[in-house]
This record gives sequence, C-alpha cells and structure tokens, in this order.
Amino acid sequence: MIPESMSRQERFEAVVALEMPDRVPVMPLMTAFAARCQGLTQGEAWRDLDKGFKAMLDTFDDLGGFDKLYKPNLYWPMIGGRLCSAPARNLIPGRDLPEDALNQIDERELFTRDDYDKLAALGWNAFWDEHYEKMSGRSIDRLVSTQNRLLNQYVKEVEACHNQGIFPLFGAYVDSSIMAFSMCRSLTQFTLDLYEVPKKVKAAMDASCDDLIQNALDVTALTKIPLVFIVLERGSGFYYRLDIFEQFEWPYLQRYVDAFVSEGLTPWFHFDTDWGLNLPYLKQLPKGKCVCDLDGTTDMFKAKEILGGHMCISGDVPASLLTLGTAEEVRDYCQRLIDVVGKGGGFFLTTGCECPVDAKFENVKMMIEVAKTYEGKS
Amino acid sequence: MGGKLKEAFLRMKRQDATDLVEKELGSGADPLGILKQCREAMEEVGKRFEAGEFFLSELIYSAEVFKAVSAMLKPSLASNHDMQDSKVAVVFGTPRGDIHDLGKNIVITMMRAQGFTVHDLGVDVPPESFVEKLRETETRILALSALITPALVSMREAISLLVEKGFRESTFVIIGGGVTTGFASKEVGADAQTLNPVEAIRLCRQHIQDRSGP
Repeated sequence: MIPESMSRQERFEAVVALEMPDRVPVMPLMTAFAARCQGLTQGEAWRDLDKGFKAMLDTFDDLGGFDKLYKPNLYWPMIGGRLCSAPARNLIPGRDLPEDALNQIDERELFTRDDYDKLAALGWNAFWDEHYEKMSGRSIDRLVSTQNRLLNQYVKEVEACHNQGIFPLFGAYVDSSIMAFSMCRSLTQFTLDLYEVPKKVKAAMDASCDDLIQNALDVTALTKIPLVFIVLERGSGFYYRLDIFEQFEWPYLQRYVDAFVSEGLTPWFHFDTDWGLNLPYLKQLPKGKCVCDLDGTTDMFKAKEILGGHMCISGDVPASLLTLGTAEEVRDYCQRLIDVVGKGGGFFLTTGCECPVDAKFENVKMMIEVAKTYEGKS
Repeated sequence: MGGKLKEAFLRMKRQDATDLVEKELGSGADPLGILKQCREAMEEVGKRFEAGEFFLSELIYSAEVFKAVSAMLKPSLASNHDMQDSKVAVVFGTPRGDIHDLGKNIVITMMRAQGFTVHDLGVDVPPESFVEKLRETETRILALSALITPALVSMREAISLLVEKGFRESTFVIIGGGVTTGFASKEVGADAQTLNPVEAIRLCRQHIQDRSGP
C-alpha cells in the first residue's frame, strides 16, 4: 500500500488543481453494479430507495473503499419540474422492463420542429411548464412531487455518506446543449434540424442555456456538493463536424463553465464517444478547474498530450475489459494509465463511463487496488 | 439530373433531392436509373466519411435523404427486389439484454442504401432467433450491435450457438456499438468489430468478395 498523507477529499481536490496527490485517486462510477453485487435485482434497487442506498454503501465497503462515491443511489437529483436534461422516459426494471434488466432511456421525439420558436420565446423552463403534460400525457404536479421527494432523499443520503467519511461526487447534473436538444428531438431529427433550420435551433438554445445553468446551480445549492456533472455525448467529433460544435455546443459549454466556476463549482465533463477532435478547445477553459472524464472511446493517452498540465483527466477502464477481461488484464491497463496519464499528476482513475452491471467484482477490486498500491514508473 | 441529384446528397439538401426525383418521375424517367444515381451518391458520401471529410451526421442526413427518395421510387419499381442487391445479405440485431437501436438503425439504412438485403430482428433479440433467421434466409453475415455490456454476453451466447448448430464456419460475425472494442470482439468470438458504419459495409463486402474467390 502507498502510505496516505491526504484525505479522500484532499486527494480529489489536488488532482483537479493539477497538484501531485499522495497517490492516484480512484472511483468506479457504479450504480447498477452495486445492486447486483448485493444480490438485489435492479427492480428492487429502483423500487426501494433504502435498499438501493444500502447496496451502494455495502459495495463501497466490500471493495475496500475509494475516493469518491459517484452517486449515493440509482436516481438523479433534480428540483421538481426544473429539468436539467431532456425529460426522456426512463424505463425502470420491474415496471417497464424485466425485473433484473438495466434501466434504459426511451429515446423518442419530445417536441417537434415547430416548437423551436416557442422555446426561443419562452426559454427552457417555461416551455416545459407548458409542454410537459401535452408531451408525456402525465401530470406535471406528479413530476414535481416525485422529483422533490427524490431530491430530499438525495440530500439525506449525501449527509449520511459524509457522516461516514464518504464523499459523493455528483452535486448536480446537466445536459450540454446538444445533448439536451438531441435527446428531445432524437438524434436523426435533430441532425436534420441542424442542417435545415439551424437558426431556429440556435435561437432555442440561446434562450434555454441560462435556465439549464440555473437549474443545476439550484440543485447544488441543496446537495451542497460543489460539482456539476455535465452530460456530453452527442456533440463530439464522432457525430458532428467542428463548425457545428463551434456553433451549437462550445459557446454554451463556455457559459456553463463560467457560471459554475464563478460559483466555486467544478465542471465535470462526462465525455461519452470519441471527443479527440474537440479536446484542444478545452485548453481555452480555466486551468485546473475542470475535469475531462473519458469513456474508453477517446484516446486517453492523446488526451494527456493535449490537456496534460491544463485539465485533470478522468477515465477510462473500458466496460468490456471489466466485464470480459481478467484481473491481470485490468491491472496492466490501470498501471499503464497511471504510468502515462498519471505522470505529473492531474489524473483520476475511473471506469470508462458507468461501471457495467456485470463487471467482475475482482476486476473492479483490482482497479481500486492498483490505485492504492502502484506508484507508477515516474 | 445525375449531377444535380448527387450534389443534393453531398450538400445535405433533402428538399432539393426529393424535388428532383419527383420531377424526373413525372417526366417518365427510369426509377432504377434514379436509384442507381442515389446509390452512387451514397457511395461518395461513404468515401468522404472514410477520408475524414464527412462526419457521422452527414451519414445520418444522407441516409435520411436516401430513405425519402426510396419511398418515392418504391411504387414505380417492379418489385421490392429491385431496391436490393441480393449479393450481400445480413442478419442484424441488438442482442438480448439491450434495447438500444440508434447505431444499428443508422448502419442498416446505410447498408440498404448500398443495396444490401438486411433482415432486421430489432432489439433484445435472443441468440436462438439470430440462428433461426440465418438458417431460414441462408444468410452468411451476422451483425450485432450493443451499447451495454449484458449484450456482450448475449453476443457470446449467439456465437456459441452458431458453433453448436454448425453455422459458425460459414458465418461472418461483425459486432459494433458503443461498448464494443477489439478486446470484446476477441472475447466474444466475433470476426470483426467497428464503430464506423462505412467500415462495417466495407468489411461485409470484403467478406463476400473473399468467399466468392477471384
């Protein structure tokens, strides 16, 4: 074991600030995996919040503890009716899916092309106040009540974690502009919109950005966790050319960062898909204030070349390696990450996106042990 | 019209493409000839994608243009077979445990635009259904798409079942989707893996070519 001279929180803050930690911090982004580890079906963990929470803490202990707990439970915190993402339907195991299936997002068109003008006129929050019931066929009062109940539960769970020296990562989350709009329109329809009615899309995004920022800020004010998890997937160079990124993603991301950093919050960029082409833009953001979290698709080693010394990089033990690989293969990969991406600090060893539900326990444990025992070649 | 139609595909102008096709059909043009031009345009889109000039969004957009034009041509074509090139047939699906179909649908549209016959089994498909469809249609390419890891296990099961039923040697298995990697391909026993729709098409064509011999 590497002798520890920092607390978990100090270690995390050090890598975000690009300082050398006593050892590389580590965290599996686990939710469904924890339920599976504790012998719960996914349905049980979703239906019974206390069981879900207990599964997270028990799995945290079974794995020997680590530096941040991604979330204390399976759901996401939002203030009632103030949406931080597209209100896509979350298919819940045991209700909409088989009892032990993974929850999955039911992506479909939530508003039409004609609604862009209304969004531009009303902004994000007022638009959904008016549109939610028509879109979903469900009462907005029920949504507000459910979300507030979950948020209260979340605040309690965070407090309980803190009392045990466990620090949840997730203060609030918010979709990037392209993510939010693409999920509202579906990838195909949104792509057609970008080419056919770009001015309408832009006007709607302009009018929505401040609401999305404020919604996330309001959640962090209650959770008191100074980190905003920004969900990015659809805006990458994997999907769109850079001129689209420059118009429809990057300006809003800069606004997010300005707003969050000025409030003392850490923007955590959860980059799913390959963002290799877009990474150089991140050098324009303030140094040592944000985290670039990669999912195993973007080349981590190139990311280090581009962002090393400017932004903390988090990632990226691939889901397939955790599920199908051996503990030795996981060890080798993690050691390579520590050697190369961890060189000089600014590295957080995490799973590439969420820890898969069927990851082998010994593989996840190995990932954590490597961070606690391997000092790296440098 | 060929040049203008191709231009509409390459400049991402759906309305221009459908207007042109409507006009041509109205003046009695051969629908098969129009279809051929659309396929040539889609091939050019694919080439530009592979060259890094086009992105996935351009594949998605042009595939939608192709779908719109195909719908217009369909009634004028003698039979559905004219829309397809039976040389390349694929059984495609998202394996059991996964209901994501975004990537799968994009690749299928691209494949159909290139004249492939695609038997789309949808999502959450059990291994037995893949094998049954391969047998029933005498198809020799199986494409599996996944976004979450439980589908990797299902992929392995489907491939094991191919072995058990004696179809493995005659079937080219290609996997793709966000959670797949070269490592996963090896582990589940697939022949190829890609996240690139154009590469998927090229690999399937290559397989057919290799199998047919010189």
